Amino acid sequence: MRKKYSKEKKHRDGEIPTGSFSDIAFLLIIYFLVATTLMKVKTITADLPSGEKSAQTETEKTPIVNLQGSEVIFNDKKMTMDELKDRLAALELGTKEPGDRIIMLESTTGTPYENYFQALAAISANDGVVAIVEEDE
Amino acid sequence: MKRSRKKKRKAIPVPIASMGDIAFLLIIFFLVCSEVSKDRSDLDVTLPLSEYVEKTKAQVVARVAVDKEGDIYFDGTLVDNAKDVEWGVRALLTSTVTDDQRHVQFKCDSDSPKEVFEPVLKAIAAGGGIIEAVGEKAE
Repeated sequence: MRKKYSKEKKHRDGEIPTGSFSDIAFLLIIYFLVATTLMKVKTITADLPSGEKSAQTETEKTPIVNLQGSEVIFNDKKMTMDELKDRLAALELGTKEPGDRIIMLESTTGTPYENYFQALAAISANDGVVAIVEEDE
Repeated sequence: MKRSRKKKRKAIPVPIASMGDIAFLLIIFFLVCSEVSKDRSDLDVTLPLSEYVEKTKAQVVARVAVDKEGDIYFDGTLVDNAKDVEWGVRALLTSTVTDDQRHVQFKCDSDSPKEVFEPVLKAIAAGGGIIEAVGEKAE
């Protein structure tokens, strides 16, 4: 009993031991630094206009990119993706009015996203506005 | 011959009383500045390649992902179909004012067929989002 009393007396001053606080805090900082992943993804920006379907959307003037599986067709002419990039650059869409920057993007069933992404990137990089062509049901 | 030059060095006490305060301030700084990621980085996705991709400058309001199996994730949560994505984007963009607040990140597997990814792209556009399609820089 006596021993117990003497132990209690030691903590009577009521001080909280703060000596290890900095160690704990630095350990927490190290934990955050190790566990954090600084991620910055690379993207292309595409603002697809949304609206009602229109039968008269496609005009003779509007360029159309057609993706058929791995094949690329631009204005009914088969070409490679690099040629498409050159053709789009030649159109100088950046100098035109927003309404004249529209490029139709059509694709057939089974077209992989890789091709679609590259076409989308090429159009967006050349200041084009992508309009997705819907298949007739 | 040589005289011993050894003198008793005075112990210079380093002031460490404020170390704890500094450390806790740093922790608070990290906690305030950090953003909890809603991106599903564990998804099985092979990103498409392009020479035009650039580091994202815009702050994205939502993250949409389509994995190899064709499952659609909206802010890390599995959703049933593209319509859910449209409603989700629409709900997030109700109070937006500028175009900077409309960016939606889209991540999709490079082998996904058109019938899987196109409805999702259209859903984001229909919801009012500007698509930030994630890819990798082609060499």
